[in-house]
Amino acid sequence: MLNRIEMLFAEARDLTLNRLQNGNLVIEVAYIATLCDESKVSDFILVPFAKQEIPFEDAVKRNPSFKRLDDPAKWAETILHGFVLLQLNGVVYKLDVARIIRNENPQTMVETVIMGPQIALSEDLIDSVNIIRSRYPSEELSVEERTIGTISKTRLLLVFDKHRVDANVLSSIREKLERISDPIFTATGELVRSLGDRYRLFPSMMVTERPDRVCTGIEDGKVILLLQGSMFAIVLPSTFFDFMHAVDDSYDSFWMTRAMIVLRYFAALLTITLPALYVAIMSYNPELFRVQLTFSISGSRSAVPYPSFVEVFIMLFMIESLIEASVRLPKYIGSTATTVGGLILGQAAQQAGLVSSIMIIVTSVVAISNFVIPVNNMSTAIRFLKYPLIIPAIFFGISGVALGMFCYLIYLSDLRSFGKPYFRLFGRTQLQSGDIGQVNQE
Amino acid sequence: MKRVRLPLLLLMLLLPLTSSCGFRDIDKRFFVIAMGIDQPSNGAKGFNVTLRLAVPSPKIEPGSGKNQVVSIQATSIAEAVRLLKAHVDKELDFGHCKVFMLGEGLARNNHTDMLRWLSRRRDVQSVAYMAIGHPDAKSILNIAPPDERYPGNTLFLMFGKDGTQSSYLVPVYVFDFIRRTEERGIDPVLPIIRAEGKSYVITRLALLDKTKLVETITPAQTETYSQIRNQDSKSTVAAVKDGDTMVINVDRISSHYKIVKANGEHVLRLHLRVSGIFEEAPLGIYEANWDKLEELFNEQIASEIEKLFKKVQHAGVDPFGFGLRYRATHAGSPQTWKDWERIYPNLKFDIHVRVKIDGTGLVK
Repeated sequence: MLNRIEMLFAEARDLTLNRLQNGNLVIEVAYIATLCDESKVSDFILVPFAKQEIPFEDAVKRNPSFKRLDDPAKWAETILHGFVLLQLNGVVYKLDVARIIRNENPQTMVETVIMGPQIALSEDLIDSVNIIRSRYPSEELSVEERTIGTISKTRLLLVFDKHRVDANVLSSIREKLERISDPIFTATGELVRSLGDRYRLFPSMMVTERPDRVCTGIEDGKVILLLQGSMFAIVLPSTFFDFMHAVDDSYDSFWMTRAMIVLRYFAALLTITLPALYVAIMSYNPELFRVQLTFSISGSRSAVPYPSFVEVFIMLFMIESLIEASVRLPKYIGSTATTVGGLILGQAAQQAGLVSSIMIIVTSVVAISNFVIPVNNMSTAIRFLKYPLIIPAIFFGISGVALGMFCYLIYLSDLRSFGKPYFRLFGRTQLQSGDIGQVNQE
Repeated sequence: MKRVRLPLLLLMLLLPLTSSCGFRDIDKRFFVIAMGIDQPSNGAKGFNVTLRLAVPSPKIEPGSGKNQVVSIQATSIAEAVRLLKAHVDKELDFGHCKVFMLGEGLARNNHTDMLRWLSRRRDVQSVAYMAIGHPDAKSILNIAPPDERYPGNTLFLMFGKDGTQSSYLVPVYVFDFIRRTEERGIDPVLPIIRAEGKSYVITRLALLDKTKLVETITPAQTETYSQIRNQDSKSTVAAVKDGDTMVINVDRISSHYKIVKANGEHVLRLHLRVSGIFEEAPLGIYEANWDKLEELFNEQIASEIEKLFKKVQHAGVDPFGFGLRYRATHAGSPQTWKDWERIYPNLKFDIHVRVKIDGTGLVK
């Protein structure tokens, strides 16, 4: 076995291959030292083998952690996933001794709430499943494992409620996973792309780090994908309305959260249309404003030498650079950059006569209302949508904006997320009252 | 390809829709805030068109509203506007033109020519107001009230519902004016603006027939018109008792009328209900008999209304839309209209006013 493994691997210092002899019993041990917890190797194999308090063959047979691995083709892969291979009397066993470096007890960073679980999913699958199972203690919870990526062979878990899940959705996910042939997966975003979201304007899968979101997803019959090494889970299928729903909406005061939902849709609409509307109103339909506003805008714009759409592009370029910079910068400098950019640049641009004062307001409304959208990948998707809309506004004014919005609506209604209509409201799951024996399946 | 076909098609459909208006920034436009149309002074054919243009300024403070008034004479309004474009450096935009003013001379002669231009232009707002300038539109437009925060504010506030709401001002929208000139059974009215120093006064209403101005009514009658036609509750009713004028501030007002046939002749029966509290009255009115006071109001108001109706009837116009009511409640045949044309000059009026006094104000 050892020779064969040595041949399989490139020259690697951390590949440990040992042949041990105790009396007339000979074992061969193979593992990658850097991936493994070596104390486990010594506790389970080396020490019992050396002491022989009970015959080592019996120890291996009795301990269910040792699993037989008969297919030599799987040796390399198994070793690479942090297992140790043990050959005893011509039979090869594998034992999981993986040592995984991960973030300990991660806090939610991307999607924060005030009153809700503060802990996020872990980068390790076992911990994540632990978190999910403890929040969804149901015997119906099914956890299916497979690997993905021709090189990375990243472990992937499909978690779903056996009874609530939609069989069509499940089979279509499985089918899609089979077909994926990308070499390496390091983040859930890559998986989302490979599953079909590459060119879509709207995300059809939700990427979340929140265990409560994952559990409500399971309860609604959704499938959760967990990827080893990433603390984000994929929830699918998802509808447009899921993305506009923050977990807080179920925790906080009823009336205020309803108001916040309305506000969020309004903010989404504003952030998409406002730059285009600015161009349209400034250059085609100034009669739309009240006369007071028209005159004051007209006065403040008279110093601006460029047409309105150039002005819009200047300001949007600035705000997008700001947002991008504050994401990329180290956390300690981040806030300084925003202050400098936001306050000084905006004010100066207006005083220099580069943009009108109302454009500063438009820009900040666009940026702020964008952040109101609770799920990050939807927020990013919507951030892009304003740009295509400016083009019909330049050529056709208000009617162009209406046309653009119309196209977006058609596109939204056309989308499907794993066979489910994307732009459709699915009602609440019904409470299971009364008949306990029966599980409600839609 | 299939996916882009629909948006492309829509885009193509959109092109002819929008091709008439070009891309022009807001600061490259000259906003017309009021437009006046007069007869040419020397008796020539055509129109004398005056535009009051707003000069925008970023500062909004009292007195910062700057105007530019341009005026030109031409054979048609469209030509005049085109000629005026040669006088200014920016594109003229009627999108914010809130007041279209007819000179009194033109209104007395013929106002229909103006409508030919007004009702066709795309950027003329149907919700703009119309008025008659006395003695002519140009002199009214030349007034620049010194305390305006931005150009035209005074006019906008006077006509609109934001600022003052005078019961002597009946705002008339362009769409309403056009409707009234075309509809049989209702005739247009227009408020008359006259200049007083560096400001405007609007108290009287002009009654027009389908083509020209025929009569003007007094401020008190204008208020009565507004009470009956618009049920304007921001008004007052007055009566005289022993030489003392008593005024009631109206809280609620409602008017209903019916055209009925009694004793072989047509009678217009109007019910006007008014309730309110005293705004001005002699002392001791709290102790007086309110029924008697109400009776006094009823009689005096009814006679005022009758006087107004008679005046309107003699002028041969129908600003209240009695004819329209008659047509609406009778068979829709040409004969109905002919009947009405015969009935109206001899129409009798039966006016019932019921005033209810709610209180005497703060003091007894």
